[in-house]
Amino acid sequence: MTIDSAHQGAVEVSDLNHVYGANGQTRKVLDGISLKVESGKFVSIVGPSGCGKSSLLMMLAGLTRPTSGAIRASGKPVDKPDPQRIGVVFQDASLYPWLSARDNVEFPLSLRGVDKAVRRDKAMDALALVGLEAFAENFPHELSGGMKQRVSIARGLVQDPPILLMDEPFAALDEQTRISMGDELLRIWDKTRKTVIFVTHGLSEAIYLSDEVLVMSGRPGRLLDRVEIDLPRPRNLEMMSTPRFAELRELLWQQIKS
Amino acid sequence: MSPKAVTIVARLAIVLAVFGAWELAPRIDLVDIRLLPPLSEVLATLAQLLSTAKFWSHLGVTLGETLVAFLIAVPLGAVLGILIAESRFASEVFKPLVFFVFSIPKSIFLPIFILLFGITFTQKIAFGVFSTIFIVMMTAFAAIDSVREDHLRVARSYGATMFQTVMRVYLPSMTPVLLEAIRLAMIFNFTGILLAEMYASREGLGNLIGAWGQGYQLKELLAAILLVSAMSILFNEFIRYYEIKCEHWRS
Amino acid sequence: MSVEQRARIARYCLVGALVVLWELLPRLGVVPELFLPPLSRTLQALVGSADEFASHLGVTLYETLISLVFACGGGIVFGLILGASAAMRGLMLPIMSGLFAVPLVVLYPLFTAWFGIGEESKIVFASVYGFLPTLLGTAAGVQTIDRHLITVARSMGATPFQQIVRVYVPATIPTVLSSLRLGGALAIVGVVVAEMLTSTAGIGFLISKYRTLLDSPHVFAAILLVLFLAITFDLMVQSLERRTLGWRRSLRSNELAPSGAGH
Repeated sequence: MTIDSAHQGAVEVSDLNHVYGANGQTRKVLDGISLKVESGKFVSIVGPSGCGKSSLLMMLAGLTRPTSGAIRASGKPVDKPDPQRIGVVFQDASLYPWLSARDNVEFPLSLRGVDKAVRRDKAMDALALVGLEAFAENFPHELSGGMKQRVSIARGLVQDPPILLMDEPFAALDEQTRISMGDELLRIWDKTRKTVIFVTHGLSEAIYLSDEVLVMSGRPGRLLDRVEIDLPRPRNLEMMSTPRFAELRELLWQQIKS
Repeated sequence: MSPKAVTIVARLAIVLAVFGAWELAPRIDLVDIRLLPPLSEVLATLAQLLSTAKFWSHLGVTLGETLVAFLIAVPLGAVLGILIAESRFASEVFKPLVFFVFSIPKSIFLPIFILLFGITFTQKIAFGVFSTIFIVMMTAFAAIDSVREDHLRVARSYGATMFQTVMRVYLPSMTPVLLEAIRLAMIFNFTGILLAEMYASREGLGNLIGAWGQGYQLKELLAAILLVSAMSILFNEFIRYYEIKCEHWRS
Repeated sequence: MSVEQRARIARYCLVGALVVLWELLPRLGVVPELFLPPLSRTLQALVGSADEFASHLGVTLYETLISLVFACGGGIVFGLILGASAAMRGLMLPIMSGLFAVPLVVLYPLFTAWFGIGEESKIVFASVYGFLPTLLGTAAGVQTIDRHLITVARSMGATPFQQIVRVYVPATIPTVLSSLRLGGALAIVGVVVAEMLTSTAGIGFLISKYRTLLDSPHVFAAILLVLFLAITFDLMVQSLERRTLGWRRSLRSNELAPSGAGH
């Protein structure tokens, strides 16, 4: 079955429910979530703490099985991790400290037994994409927080998956770095046009980066609203002080508060 | 049954299985009965020993030495440890030395104690103190360092006096660590005393154990081993119970 | 001059003074020579009986190496298994830590009754002696490893086998090295103490022999030899640890103080 280019990179979630049980108590984490993300769009998910957005992302990544419901990516169901289809970047860069930056980026390829020379080339390309070729042989403890996160992004992109999932990737960074990383991410996205699903706490960050923002409610997690961000691209920092930006921010804030 | 109960039952099962094997293996000739008398016979021997005045006098000697050494080493070690940890300069000078001496096996110095003190009550106590004092000092270091800086800052900002700071911040913070110090100190202390008695002594539990070993009196030997194990484990768990209870004061 | 530098100098002076006192106090008659022979005499004894020391050192080394394999090997392997499985941990750890309180020296006469007074009893004793603390140390160390590293591997499509070999094993190297250090130190102590108690060979045996002969210089010389052995081993493992120093720090929080050594 061929996947047409419109489908490539599309994500579809149907009636996702997840119940978490521990010590004889059950808790409904996600309640009837359904959504569709078009290929090549940058979509953020925001919501209060504990609303289940990270759990949702884990399911999109194939790391957790939902109690019920279906997830499809690029037209095929998601039931286990598939790094060639879906790349994942976590909040904690989680680079392996005993491997150099390049070895870290090569890691997913080496798991598949890809040939050494091919691995090296792909890894260096990915590092070039995030602007860190010069640091390929450095170890994680020699890199700053922002640099580590960029290596993590390179690792997620090294197999050129059509979809990239990001779970609060910039949360552990300082304000300054977060802003520059955001611009960096948009530059990479613009170049590669992946489908990006970006979970974040920051409303401004979500608005600045995305085409659409999905709002989730608190426990149990439900999809409240889909807000389209009609700010022009490419984005720049000045837009953050426009009235439209403030409007959008207010709109999202109201949604979350309720 | 809750998972916690399952774990406890499983643990009990393991212990019972080990004891069961001890009882059966010699009886069914799996193991030479002279080398491993069945558990029941060992326990009977133990009961017999505990009703003998002679045994109690030896046991008393050991417990006496342990207690005296403990009562000297713990306060002394604690005071020295606190004094060192409180002074920045003293810390820098002495801490590495204490760590170094701690990591050296102290048992090998036992003959020196015998050369100095002969084979006496004093010698054993001195060796016991020597074995114990370093772990107490090191725990004191950890205790002082562990008093949370922010708790201290809060107290200071409220104008707490030195006494109040000690009582309200240091003590609750340090109690679990102090209890741990006592627990570890006793392990090292008891081990040191028994070793000294086994090595060269005219009396004491360690001396009896050594003699029984050489005389192939395995029932008595195993009985003594059980007794020593029981005493150590009981003391250890007793202190640990309170340690865990106090732990939540710190956080 | 900073505090560290002043302290370092103070420490060197202190140690230097102790060495000088070691030489002078007995010579001046302040301390009986029986208790503290002058350093020079001790070194003389060491050199003078070098052959005897060397042959007994060989015995001790042999026993120590074998014990090391059992104590560290067993302790690390079981520690890794215990550390990896929460169920096993909950079940076994309390039993193991309870046993930690027992003065294991009392088992040695049992082993001599079972295995005789030759090498076997010492190897068994030292192996048992080193096993438990190494196991506890390894299990504790494994628990400090960031579980997230495995999740990340899963997200990259790693099979369970790959998760163990490519992530878990490298991540446990710092713990394994520190356990090696601990277990080794305990194996050395175990062997020497056993030799001191009942033996016909080994450095521990020499210590006891010369003590009964009231030959302090030889006693001290033998003790120095044991210290030398312990320190050399420790430095060797430390140099291994240094190779992994950079990335070890980012793997987990600071090293814990030694828990079992020092007996």
